[in-house]
Amino acid sequence: MSQQRKASTDQLRLAGCRSVHLYERLNRIAEGSYGIVYRARDRQTGQIVALKRLKLDQETQGFPITTLREIQALLIAKHPHIVDVKEIVVGDTLTSIYLVMEYVEHDLKTLLEEMPSPFLQSEVKTLLLQLLQGVALLHDHWIIHRDLKTSNLLMTNRGTIKIADFGLARKYGSPLGHMTQMVVTLWYRAPELLLGAKEYSTAIDMWSIGCIFAELLEKVPLFQGRGEIDQLHQIFKLLGTPSERVWPGYSKLPHTQTFNFAVYPPSNLRQRFMHLTNHGLDLLTRLLTYDPKQRITAEEALNHPYFQENPPPKDPSMFPTWPSKSSGEKVRLIHSPVLPQADHAEVQVDFSPAS
Amino acid sequence: MATKLSLTNPLLTPEQWSQPPSRIAKVPAPLETQIRHFACELIEAAGILLSLPQVAMATAQVLLQRFYYVASITQFSVRDTMMACLFLASKLEECPRKVKDIINVFDYVVKRRRNLLITPLEMFSQAFYEMKNGLIIAELQLLKQLGFNVQVQLPYGLLVTYLQCLGLVHHPQIPQLAWNYLNDALRTCVYVCYQPPTIASAAIFLAARQCQCKLPTQPPWWTVFDANLDDMIYISGHILSLYETPLPTNIPLTCEELESYLENVQAPLSNSPSDQV
Repeated sequence: MSQQRKASTDQLRLAGCRSVHLYERLNRIAEGSYGIVYRARDRQTGQIVALKRLKLDQETQGFPITTLREIQALLIAKHPHIVDVKEIVVGDTLTSIYLVMEYVEHDLKTLLEEMPSPFLQSEVKTLLLQLLQGVALLHDHWIIHRDLKTSNLLMTNRGTIKIADFGLARKYGSPLGHMTQMVVTLWYRAPELLLGAKEYSTAIDMWSIGCIFAELLEKVPLFQGRGEIDQLHQIFKLLGTPSERVWPGYSKLPHTQTFNFAVYPPSNLRQRFMHLTNHGLDLLTRLLTYDPKQRITAEEALNHPYFQENPPPKDPSMFPTWPSKSSGEKVRLIHSPVLPQADHAEVQVDFSPAS
Repeated sequence: MATKLSLTNPLLTPEQWSQPPSRIAKVPAPLETQIRHFACELIEAAGILLSLPQVAMATAQVLLQRFYYVASITQFSVRDTMMACLFLASKLEECPRKVKDIINVFDYVVKRRRNLLITPLEMFSQAFYEMKNGLIIAELQLLKQLGFNVQVQLPYGLLVTYLQCLGLVHHPQIPQLAWNYLNDALRTCVYVCYQPPTIASAAIFLAARQCQCKLPTQPPWWTVFDANLDDMIYISGHILSLYETPLPTNIPLTCEELESYLENVQAPLSNSPSDQV
């Protein structure tokens, strides 16, 4: 059998994983339930990358399906505001597997904690737009991220946001089908998940974006529940207790029957965000809408008048830069020169014995 | 060159095609073809028993074909690899099956295909433990050797679109026939040699020939679908070669079976398949 095939140059080749030793580990960036992340340098090109070591110890059902989903989602979602996975490399044993990803200097959570003052309105707009663009692409490709939060948003020194950590992401279909409710970090979790809805969709990501929007404005997370009940309590306190009128189907949700929630008056978002423009408040209200069907979609949010009004979104290249914690940079304290000592200043007499 | 990750199907280079690792390990080409064919047949059968969707079986078969162009049959047991392929494909296609179910079903289909006495596998037996261990390791090997390029683009959707373009969807035979050719082609190397548009076109080409159905030739219909005649004839030849000779029942599946099989082949062929198991 003879093979007559034109070899094209840009064709993807079949080849095994390369070795992790092609990268030089520099320092540890973070450790989470998913594994450890290192900062590393490509020995050939000198490029700085992030190496994420996968945790595979306790697997009874083979290679974790969540990691397969993560890789698949990252492959589908190629976008300037979604972190890029370059390749997957292996260590000396079969279970040491690393994702090689582009290195990004900051994560938004640490940045917000360390910043002396919150982002400017123009900066918030840029960040929110970038986040919405990335999420719109995900939703367009039938992917739900399911863990949007400030610590999963990376930020370059050039004012660009990258959505990261797709460990919980998965494809969904129509009809929706069964998906686990154990998703999204508590503080960013949508009310329908907290109330035990059987089916959910892309709207859960939009709720998280609403929480992130508020966090960008205030520098602190919007709802910081100590548990699921407390989380709901805090949401209701700010946005009012939902009813069948604002959220059709609310009373039929599994947990609304089991718990009795205090009745709070409708939203007092305005009191909380006094300096936000009307358009800004409208966008926040639409993101934090109880009924997932009425909640704004990423596509709609991108066209919201908030982004058209003054001040316009700041150009990413005009963003200030910060020292990067993950690459071990520290805030350099600048010692200003000491004032010249006047002649009449107190004379320091040296009593030490002359040498 | 860094191994890139991509959603498009990786294809073989001419060198990979002419020198698969099993050939370097002195496995004769006809035997390798038979083993691939047999393993894919077992994956299909197991998938049906596990009530998996066809995409999962198809993905698994393509993964197996890919794997044995970067790894040798003598080194990686076909039995473990085919289980791992279906296991991994079931996860990739969001219809995961349990390890124990995969093992039991494969054990059953192998025994049935070899006309052996069918006895259920003991859950806590050494044999079960070894198969489980083999499967888990084979899955990691599969991912590692393929550089995590385990995404498979299949031509089924394209086939339907192409049939619609050609006005053939309501033809009494062609759609089903072409569909079946796509399924059968999974047992050959065509999914690692060509991209989905060419494979889908070839299936229509072959089906239309079988049914003696004339399709536009001026210009030729396949040019619209980025296919060319040489490729389609080549794919058709591969598909048709599947039907030429039935598979023998003594095809080796583990490395040990393969070793003793190859030893026996040096001597005149024995006619007792039962002692191979």
